Amino acid sequence: MSKPMILVSSITYAMKSRDILFSYGIKAYVERTPGGTSAGCGYSIYVPNRTDEAERILAEAGIKLLGRAERDGTS
Amino acid sequence: MIYLDNAATTYPKPIFVQNAVNSALKNYGANPGRAGHSMSIAAAEEIYRCRSAAAGFFNAPGPECVAFTLNCTHALNYVIKGLLKPGDHAVVSCLEHNAVMRPLQKLMESGVTATRVRIFPGDNDATVNAFRSALRENTKLIVCTHASNVWGIRLPVERIAALGHIYGIPIAVDCAQSAGVLPIDMADGKFDYLCVAGHKGLYGPMGTGMLITPDGSELDTIIEGGTGTNSISLDQPPTMPDRMESGTQNMAGIAGLRAGIEFVKNRGVQTIYKHEMSLVRHLYQRLSEMKNIKLYTSEPDTPYFVPVLSFNVGDIASETIAQKLNTHGVAVRAGLHCAPAAHDFMGTLTQGAVRVCPSAFSTVNDINSLILSLMKII
Repeated sequence: MSKPMILVSSITYAMKSRDILFSYGIKAYVERTPGGTSAGCGYSIYVPNRTDEAERILAEAGIKLLGRAERDGTS
Repeated sequence: MIYLDNAATTYPKPIFVQNAVNSALKNYGANPGRAGHSMSIAAAEEIYRCRSAAAGFFNAPGPECVAFTLNCTHALNYVIKGLLKPGDHAVVSCLEHNAVMRPLQKLMESGVTATRVRIFPGDNDATVNAFRSALRENTKLIVCTHASNVWGIRLPVERIAALGHIYGIPIAVDCAQSAGVLPIDMADGKFDYLCVAGHKGLYGPMGTGMLITPDGSELDTIIEGGTGTNSISLDQPPTMPDRMESGTQNMAGIAGLRAGIEFVKNRGVQTIYKHEMSLVRHLYQRLSEMKNIKLYTSEPDTPYFVPVLSFNVGDIASETIAQKLNTHGVAVRAGLHCAPAAHDFMGTLTQGAVRVCPSAFSTVNDINSLILSLMKII
């Protein structure tokens, strides 16, 4: 799975996103945004499976998404 | 001690609140929303649970609409100073606390103007009409207390919000005395900004408050700093709640606030309101039978009042009466209650008033003890 980290604007949105995805049966985890992204620091959600679907669900839910990244930081 | 100063802050706090604070200090000792290690994430989860609980309690659009503040004053400052610019006009009621009046006074130095609207207790039509008459072309904000912290008078904020929206004017509601006592539905009431004290009717610790709004991105900030996100940028984040939450949060206080909200939910806002109103009505009836007692409102009744009652004894300074009650083990608050506008409205600017406010834990015996103490004093 490429780029399983979905970047969001804050830890609050990360947790809200996780809860939304859980309601769709998609496992998601709040983690620190990997180094090397443009934001400097922040929080993302790690979605090991169905990441593309998760990204679409969150966008439709009105969550502002900042991009995707690899979990190891090599975005 | 018989504590009847709950309009200032509720006491005692429920055991659940005390335990939540202790638990937070023990288990959530890391800085929430700053790091990626387990304890920091766990602390952030607890804060998120409180955001979600508050959003649900006030029917806000989502947890991201809840920004934690130090108190209600802090939240009001965020709205008033974040929205009003030189040349703008604001409309407020004649019962506002200094948490509203002092920020406005400060802004008046830079060209903001404000109109103080006379309200009509028990006549909501007249009150709403008075607000309508005060609106101008440059009115940018209505700030209105939900209930007076001195007289317990409840204002028709839902109707005032609807009036404002006809003209595209947002409303900030000062819920310091109403949150946890009156039902507040952000969606139904169409409130733009709810400014809430966490340590009063929500039974959280002192040092907790909330600004609840879906429109936080439209507010200029008055405090900027670290948020744990997007650190490479020197611009304050545009999105709530980070925009309004620079610096380390009151982790233990917020955990306690969540427990307080749960306490109120479990007991029921209506149950608490009915209980406290019955105590205040009992007090009013007994006071009205006593000689030399000055009462300033009609008997508090639903839905026009919240359970706050102020009185005086003849022309004796209110501080003197409060001091004597304290020697009898009764805690009340005298003076102007940081609300000279409300005292000006009732003509008590010189004498102040003795304020009594029960909580969910108060009993009729507490009120009877207050009355007995008063009888001994006078």
